[in-house]
Amino acid sequence: MTTLTRERADTRAVPAGGGARPQLTDRRTLRPPSARALLGLAIMGSFVAGGIWSLIELRVNIASLIVGYENAVNFFTNRVGALQLPPLGELAQMTVMTLAIVICATALGMVLSLILGLLAATNTCRHAPVRAVARVIVIVMRAVPELIMAIIFIRVFGFGAAAVAGILALGLNSIGMLGKFYTEAIEDHDDGPRQALETGGSVRLQQIFGATLPGIMPAVVAHGLHRFDINLRASVILGYVGLPGLGMELSSALGVGNYSLGIGLALVILGICIAAELLSGFLRMKLLGRSEPSRFGFFWLVGKMRRRYDANRLEAPSGARPAAWGERTTPPWNGERTSRFTYIGLFGLVILASVWLADIDWIAFFHGLLSIPAVAGQFIPPSDGGIAERLWTTLLETIQMGLAATFLGALLALPVGVLAARNVAPNRAVVQFFRTLIVVTRGVPELILAIILIVIMGMGAVAGVLALAVGAMGLLSKLVADSIEETDIRVQQAIATGGAARTQVFFASTVRQAAPAIVAHLFYQLDVNIRAATLLGIVGAGGVGYYLLNANRVLQFEVVTYICLMIVGVILLLEFITSVMRRLLR
Amino acid sequence: MSAITLQNVTKKFPPSTVAADDISLSIDAGTFTVLLGLSGSGKSTLLRLINGLHTPTSGSVTVLGTEVGTARRSQLRQVRRDIGMVFQQFHLVGSMSTLENVCTGALGSLRGPRIGLFSYPKAVRQRALEQLDRVGLADQRFQRADTLSGGQQQRVAVARALVQQPKVLLADEPVASLDPESSHQVMSLIAQIAREDQLTVVCSLHQVELAMHWGDRIIGLRQGKKVMDEPAANVTSEDAMSIYGSMASARPAPPETAAV
Ligand SMILES: Nc1ncnc2c1ncn2[C@@H]1O[C@H](COP(=O)(O)OP(=O)(O)OP(=O)(O)O)[C@@H](O)[C@H]1O
Ligand SMILES: [Mg+2]
Repeated sequence: MTTLTRERADTRAVPAGGGARPQLTDRRTLRPPSARALLGLAIMGSFVAGGIWSLIELRVNIASLIVGYENAVNFFTNRVGALQLPPLGELAQMTVMTLAIVICATALGMVLSLILGLLAATNTCRHAPVRAVARVIVIVMRAVPELIMAIIFIRVFGFGAAAVAGILALGLNSIGMLGKFYTEAIEDHDDGPRQALETGGSVRLQQIFGATLPGIMPAVVAHGLHRFDINLRASVILGYVGLPGLGMELSSALGVGNYSLGIGLALVILGICIAAELLSGFLRMKLLGRSEPSRFGFFWLVGKMRRRYDANRLEAPSGARPAAWGERTTPPWNGERTSRFTYIGLFGLVILASVWLADIDWIAFFHGLLSIPAVAGQFIPPSDGGIAERLWTTLLETIQMGLAATFLGALLALPVGVLAARNVAPNRAVVQFFRTLIVVTRGVPELILAIILIVIMGMGAVAGVLALAVGAMGLLSKLVADSIEETDIRVQQAIATGGAARTQVFFASTVRQAAPAIVAHLFYQLDVNIRAATLLGIVGAGGVGYYLLNANRVLQFEVVTYICLMIVGVILLLEFITSVMRRLLR
Repeated sequence: MSAITLQNVTKKFPPSTVAADDISLSIDAGTFTVLLGLSGSGKSTLLRLINGLHTPTSGSVTVLGTEVGTARRSQLRQVRRDIGMVFQQFHLVGSMSTLENVCTGALGSLRGPRIGLFSYPKAVRQRALEQLDRVGLADQRFQRADTLSGGQQQRVAVARALVQQPKVLLADEPVASLDPESSHQVMSLIAQIAREDQLTVVCSLHQVELAMHWGDRIIGLRQGKKVMDEPAANVTSEDAMSIYGSMASARPAPPETAAV
């Protein structure tokens, strides 16, 4: 057995200052909160207060829900007969038109965003002014709602070439999101290979095509597919201002009170949106390999099974170089490479077909280009059309809808997200259940849901808030779950080793680790919801969107500009608050 | 008196790793034991078996009279309150103040969740401050933990472990990510506190010199097996080096540098 060797212990060096440390005089263990903390609390507090106030102001409460339910029952028994659909041929044609426009728009958005991304990223563009300009373009494209772009472009190109207008509106608006993501992808991408080419003496463009682009391509396509889903949903709303396809058909059916056709179409659109989301999820998984798509949704479940399968397969010895390589300088056509090229080829074909099917009227397009100066004149100077007060009240209503929906959504999303996080939930079954719940909720397109709810429940703002809250819950709970899973679990373990209980560890550590990300997501969601609330005004959910549609109808384009500036102002303000909040949380 | 007893403890990880292979040992209260071994030899596993982060595949682990491997959750919490632990990567919550990090060490003796410094009882905050003062960081009490240097962060982690007033202190390579200067500071701090508070210390290290300097007893591990167990006084450098296997005479490079 060991004996404690005293002499040895005593000869050990004792640290300097061990005994000579001065008495601890300042025994304060609390200090007044810093200005930073106060500001952060104030912002969060006003967010919560604003959410509650908005819920009250918009009368989102049990009583309205009951009325809404009664309206819905009434609606189905008295106003809708059997569901009705247009003839199959017509329906197929409209669907193809919608998809073609959305595909063209997304492809346009991806190409432009990639160019802007390369110009905006520090590692691919050396000129600070160029970077700044590229970034400003991205921000502006993000701030201007797609609806307003569509109104402007339809004015420019005429209803005959509304498809072009829609493609441009959705495409340019996509830049706001994709440009930002691509810039980040380029900047985060390992710059080593490009630098290697640079030291080899190649020119910048060669470096970009040789090293940067191949590296970020999977991310580029994945974000693009994600944006495709978003554009598809938005295209339905753009139907209300004249974009051909399913949305226009829906808006005219509802406009003339043909509810059985309207609801029928809405259900078809719902189905298409869900199918598209499943397909794009599948493609993302194919493109990115198995780890990334789990972040997106339904295919998390499939991905999980695949991973298990692949883990089994990996057991087999691998890595031996096939003898048949010989003198080849291109990789062999193994299964993976073949399927990758098949996918790339398919993508190209689909885009070409879409350009053709979107029925672009090139003559009208070039005429439109020439008419830009004249049309621009119609939009300036901005004018309130004598209804400034109405506009500002309804803008406030739009903001309230966004706040209320985000608040409700967050209320639901926080517990759901926590229970869906593998490192916190009590067991696997709970995780599975809540992850599935999230996936299902995420599949519901909130704009379409809002249209349906508004039609059947008949109350603008309440139905709109509910629909947006469902959407917010789906997205937020996923983001919350992911943020919690990304926290360093070893820190939590370290606290648990001291005997802390699970809930104690959760609040003392997990919450603190995940809070910055979660709060950032919350503000992102608010931004998303305020934008969506603007669109919802158009389908009758109240808010400033209604006046936007009206002004467009009566050709008061100066008012459109006025409303546009109001909305952009709100969104930029929110962006500013978000960035302040991010800085505070860091 | 024996504080920690392991009897024929084996820990397997699927598919085929045996991280602890039939280890039996008994550690007396108030002693300073060093675990020595290469990366992957099972040092962390052994420490994690002692505080119940891992349960043994077979055999029994008894700490302060409680069998950890089979203990119910409440029993485990109870015994863990007497075991402090310090990690190579410190594992502090970076966005929290130093003092609040230290306070989290006391959670085991508190009821209910805590969030924010003010939610801890004053007595706990005072105790935390005293420990922070002991490791020489009272002045940094309100500073964010991630703004401290590595050595300072490790001292905060030591204070966090001390706040729970443990009887046993486990340290898993506490100085492996520190420079020699801070390493010395942290090791001597641990040794000094261990003596003052009569702690039983089990500390894993991978530097032979540090092990021989600070340990009362050295336990050598290789591939999960106990290959040496001697009072430090009886151990020569050559003996210690032999733990590292066939390269007995050559000085083994520390894993970090070997990986570069
Ligand atoms: N949770 C785990 N799951 C699977 N294998 C593990 C796990 N933890 C440890 N191992 C394996 O057990 C063996 C011993 O690991 P351990 O971490 O105890 O070594 P170590 O001596 O602490 O090494 P280091 O000096 O690198 O920290 C290793 O082969 C390791 O891969
Ligand atoms: Mg280890």
